[in-house]
Amino acid sequence: MNVLRLETTSDPALLAPIRRAIEAFCESSGFSECAVCETGLCVNEALANIMRHAYAGAKNRPVLLEANFVEGLLQITLRDWGNGKDPSAAPPKIDPLTPGGLGLVCLRSMMDEMTYTPQPDGMVLTMKRRKK
Amino acid sequence: MDVKTASDLVPWARTEGQALIVGVKGEIDLHNSPELRTEVLDLIVKHPSLRVVMDLTLVPYMDSSACAVLVEALRRVRAGGGRVFLVGLQPRVKSLLEIARLGSIFVIAADEAAALAVK
Repeated sequence: MNVLRLETTSDPALLAPIRRAIEAFCESSGFSECAVCETGLCVNEALANIMRHAYAGAKNRPVLLEANFVEGLLQITLRDWGNGKDPSAAPPKIDPLTPGGLGLVCLRSMMDEMTYTPQPDGMVLTMKRRKK
Repeated sequence: MDVKTASDLVPWARTEGQALIVGVKGEIDLHNSPELRTEVLDLIVKHPSLRVVMDLTLVPYMDSSACAVLVEALRRVRAGGGRVFLVGLQPRVKSLLEIARLGSIFVIAADEAAALAVK
């Protein structure tokens, strides 16, 4: 079992190092280069949504990332203590020239499963991807 | 003619006839995309062009916030009757543009010479 736990904050300057950490985790779990890159992008997009929407741009709020890889299944959870709004409840992105919504498009197309679970004090996003 | 730039993310830019050619460098995410936006839109305003070529050869990674910058630039250039060309796309950048369904909205060219040769 491979495990990663990162207690971090909502500072966009941390996006790149966190992305690299999850990419290294996926690589060490044996995922293909394509899967590593896609998972890194999904974590980037999910974190950016937390920063922009759940925390409305505040840079010093807590975010907890946990990842585990067990029997071929990668599971990543992102916990925030923000406004608790479910981003997946927004209308789907139809016009590519309309701003917003691309992050969710990435999550939906690149992950096998994606679930937002509201909490009394925030949100948990769970993403799953099986190693092919 | 070389154009002065104010950001490391845009290390160079120049005009050539009615074209503005903009070189972008680095990994672009929510942390630095606002800086890229400021620089690119400033160049577009100061150097109105019918053909804007964004050279992304030195961009190994970008996220949706960088895509939003490209789309905003496209809107501005289109409003003036121009077109935006993207050249030098690395695999991760190309993949994101395809997922965003932007691959057919921008004009994608292999390199700067190809973009400038398009009628």
